[in-house]
Amino acid sequence: MDKKFGFYICSGCGIGEAVNTEWIMDNVPKEEGYSNCTVHPFLCSKEGVDIINQDIKEKGVNTIVIGACSRRVNYDVFKFSGCILERVNLREQVVWSHARPEGWTMPEEVNEDEPDHLQMMAEDYFRMGMVRCEKVSLPVPYKLDAKSDKILIIGGGITGMQAALDASKAGYASTIIEKDGQLGGYAAKVRKQLPIQAPYDQLISPIVQQKIKAVESDSNISIKTSTVVARIAGQPGDFTVTLKAPGEKIEFDVPDPVPPEMRVDEKGKDLEKEKLDEIYKKINEGKADILKLDPNGEKFGAVILTAGWRPYEPAKDEFSHLGYGAIKDVVTNTAFEAIAKNGKIVRPSDGKEAKSVVFIQSPGQGKDDDFSYCGSVTSMVTLKQAKYVREDYSDDGKAFVFYQHMRTPGLSENFYKAMQQDPGIFMSKGDITSVTQDGDSLMVEAKDTLLGESVQVKADMVVLATGMVPVTHDDPVVNLAYRQGPGFRDIGLFDDYVDSNFICFPYETQRTGIYAAGAIRRSLTMEESMEDATGATLKAIQCLKSVDRGEAVHPRAGDQTFPDFFFQRCTQCKRCTEECPFGALDDDEKGTPKPNPTRCRRCGTCMGACPERIINFADYSIDSIGSMVKCIKVPSEDDFDEPPLRILVFLCENDAYPAMDMAGMNRMQWHHDVRFIPVRCLGSVNTIWIKDALSQGMDGVLYIGCKHGDDYQCHFVKGSELAEIRKSKISDALASLALEEERVAMFEIAIDEYDKLPKIINTFMEEVEALGPNPFKGF
Amino acid sequence: MLLEPDVKFIKEIESLGGDTLKKCFQCATCSVACPISPDNKPFPRKEMIAASWGLKDRVVKNADIWLCHNCGDCSTLCPRGAKPGDVLAALRMYAIKEYAFPKKLGEMVSDPSKLPILLAIPFIIFLIVGMVCNMFVDPNWLCFSPGGDEIVHSHFFNSWLVDLIFVPLSLCVVAVFARGGYQFLNDIHQNAVLEGKTDKKELDLLGIAQAFPKVVLKILKHEKFDQCGENQSRSTPHMLVLFGFIGLFIVTSIFFVVLYGFQTHGPYSQFNPVKWLANISGIALVMGGLVMLKERISQDTSKQISTYKDWSLIGLVLALGLSGLLTEMTRLGELAALSYGLYYIHLVFVFCLFAYLPFSKLAHLFYRTLAMTYSEYANRQ
Repeated sequence: MDKKFGFYICSGCGIGEAVNTEWIMDNVPKEEGYSNCTVHPFLCSKEGVDIINQDIKEKGVNTIVIGACSRRVNYDVFKFSGCILERVNLREQVVWSHARPEGWTMPEEVNEDEPDHLQMMAEDYFRMGMVRCEKVSLPVPYKLDAKSDKILIIGGGITGMQAALDASKAGYASTIIEKDGQLGGYAAKVRKQLPIQAPYDQLISPIVQQKIKAVESDSNISIKTSTVVARIAGQPGDFTVTLKAPGEKIEFDVPDPVPPEMRVDEKGKDLEKEKLDEIYKKINEGKADILKLDPNGEKFGAVILTAGWRPYEPAKDEFSHLGYGAIKDVVTNTAFEAIAKNGKIVRPSDGKEAKSVVFIQSPGQGKDDDFSYCGSVTSMVTLKQAKYVREDYSDDGKAFVFYQHMRTPGLSENFYKAMQQDPGIFMSKGDITSVTQDGDSLMVEAKDTLLGESVQVKADMVVLATGMVPVTHDDPVVNLAYRQGPGFRDIGLFDDYVDSNFICFPYETQRTGIYAAGAIRRSLTMEESMEDATGATLKAIQCLKSVDRGEAVHPRAGDQTFPDFFFQRCTQCKRCTEECPFGALDDDEKGTPKPNPTRCRRCGTCMGACPERIINFADYSIDSIGSMVKCIKVPSEDDFDEPPLRILVFLCENDAYPAMDMAGMNRMQWHHDVRFIPVRCLGSVNTIWIKDALSQGMDGVLYIGCKHGDDYQCHFVKGSELAEIRKSKISDALASLALEEERVAMFEIAIDEYDKLPKIINTFMEEVEALGPNPFKGF
Repeated sequence: MLLEPDVKFIKEIESLGGDTLKKCFQCATCSVACPISPDNKPFPRKEMIAASWGLKDRVVKNADIWLCHNCGDCSTLCPRGAKPGDVLAALRMYAIKEYAFPKKLGEMVSDPSKLPILLAIPFIIFLIVGMVCNMFVDPNWLCFSPGGDEIVHSHFFNSWLVDLIFVPLSLCVVAVFARGGYQFLNDIHQNAVLEGKTDKKELDLLGIAQAFPKVVLKILKHEKFDQCGENQSRSTPHMLVLFGFIGLFIVTSIFFVVLYGFQTHGPYSQFNPVKWLANISGIALVMGGLVMLKERISQDTSKQISTYKDWSLIGLVLALGLSGLLTEMTRLGELAALSYGLYYIHLVFVFCLFAYLPFSKLAHLFYRTLAMTYSEYANRQ
């Protein structure tokens, strides 16, 4: 596209009083195509926007640079279709955060001896915007040749069935596959279930049969029982799925990755690539490569994973103080449910009526923890099972609940209250010290109870509230034919629950187009699982729609760009394939990456990883950012006696950029020698930009992004962590240039910590000042 | 401690007005809110959990449930609506039944459907004993046509007959209380030692006797009642009824002494100071009863409820006072037949007062005094 530029500066909101907008415009080269320059006192007014629209219409302007407020405000006003748009943040990042001193007046002429920091900053930012616009192009959406709108649902329990019904309601066809011979899952194995509607205070009969009937009679839903996934190949909108019977061995079984213990030699050294490939081939003998598509495979557009959970199996002696394993009448909650489903509650040891049952919520022994894989659902199930005892023996049945935590969130508090009201249900916080056989019955001892002392309770049976292990703990289930492996990458934070940052991005897994719902995501009740199913279904539909439009699904919903590879220069180093947080890239035998654009979330981690810098996006590239870095004027001793420093800040646009805006809106002040460049994710920061900055004389580089670690907030899971690793690796390069590694630093902040930002910047500034100016200045 | 919850006990407490018992979630707001709870091991939190766990012995054999005056501050502030005030009241009713003997009678007293039988018992006893005495002792002990110019109730219902019935009855009541009281004292002491509420190891009856006068003074002054926040207005009617009963007790005692000591029969002249006391006490009783009735009718049931035992006691107080006063008024109004009939009814109520005392809510007179005395003795502050 032939670019025809339009430059607009708003002098409202205090911009015109603090900086000379005419001088900023003077930096625009006055050649062909650069002539449309307008300063307006109220650009976001109708008149202001009309000027721009008129330029578009009459003068053919298609590349627009607006110097005004932050791009996070007025985005609905400054919206021009078919145009490249750059918003230069003169308000929040320049004039609001760097107040002119009291009584300052605008000078008539440029003072050559004294630097005017604010003016320089505004000019730098406007120039950066201009340069960026020169370098980027309008994105062309990626469209698939063939596309399927069908949804594959893995798991025919209550969650999967609900997902299929919801998809059908929205007009989408789906296939439910279930490994067992019939639908229903665990929901079909309970005597009663927890309430699913107001007033949420009584147990109800299982609703699973109604759901089974509903899915069986729905023409949009096809059901395949005794079926599992052999492999899912391809990408969202175009998955090729091979199904098989459980236990069957077929050519299109997904290849297994080389297990960690086989990746090293006897001495513990990493094996070489060739050797690894050899082992990979050997262990996957007879299986087709991931890139080979099954000609008989079924096409699906998106996948909803509802494979659920399995009961936790305590290891031998794991709970020996609770008598588990040694005493027959100490059982898990799932075993107890089976007894209850079967009829009256009787002891497993001798079939005698169990009229006194103790429910243990936490293993105790001084620890506050519940059993592994527990949650509110295990508390609720205990209350439910306590009620069974009372139902079966209403006169003299007694159910005791000892807990460390009784979790009944939301309206299920009503259920707790109702159960508490039963005269035969007794609850106390307590630390169970032992369960022992005492003649014909059991003796349970607990300390630190609400009764203020250690207590003993005689019981016929003891029930342990063990947890719900997601089936992904044992098996990848989805069996993805992805180079990164068949399962979801384990980031070591979620105990093998399908990874999902359930606060920010519920249902999303680390694999685009595959959405998780129900107990595979978290221990959930049936009611919560059904609600979850609806959420995941809507996500899957969003994915199909986005694929249709050639846009990213999430978190950069609507982004039409995608990574573009310049393959001639690829060295097959595989870094992009390995580092992509979403496994979007596969590679062929030689190691050349094979992009799968609809799997991609457009974070740019590959762009940051590529040592050859051959990965770029239409509006975000090595060159566009690099050019922005290079157009920042770095004053040297030739310009001033004491030239000001220049610090470059890469600002993650997910949290750090809006936080910076908030700091500006609150009129917080920070040092005037820093220049911000927004980036999609710190993971997309290529170290070449650091070199660019330092070699042109900038004095320091700062990364500001989202938190990583246990409570990571990185929108792309791994971005800030990778940035940290890459940053540490350039220290050597800096040393070879005789530069201190302290000149490059990284900070992580959450969006609500905007008040810390000015201090972070100013402190870093002081540290760099202490190091002294970059010796490369002026070269 | 081995916990053996008694589900039947919980159900019974719930039926006695403590149906909110299991709502307690142990926040202890009640113990903080209570203006009269001691600082060391305060009630009613611990009573609430022990009761909701069905630990009968802990709550029934416990002096603390009697230290509670049912102010209702706890129930008003309870965030869960567990109404500890009502629960403790129910526990007290249970305890009264537990310590009374015979138990069968106790059950009848708490059962509204048995009320006609309970009223019929004295009615019939009077008739039978009267007839028997008429036959074997003196044909005029129970005389249905006394005649004469003046209305003299002893001509209808001979004083000898009254005492023949009421003196043994009183002795029986004393025996029942003595039995229950002894057991009660031992139990609450044991409980206090177990829960660390006292520094006394052994139960010393002399020490208890020494504490008694102090407590009586406190009761007469209604000190505890006056500390209540929510229900402080109950103090006055309670005082009226209590002093009414005390006045009438004094009057009856004087009558008894004068009758047997000086052979002087009633009725006394209206100018006799004893008569003044009798009249004032009777009026206090009725006034107090009426105010109590009004308060019970208009009270907010979400804060406090009234049970059959509450209603029946107020009913008895009013019946006693009204039947007594009406007997006197009809006597002065020279309505002989009506006056004699009312006197008979009055005696029936007096019998009820005595005979059912250990089983009714009125037994608190005994147990609360005993518990307060014990706590005074045990240094439970």
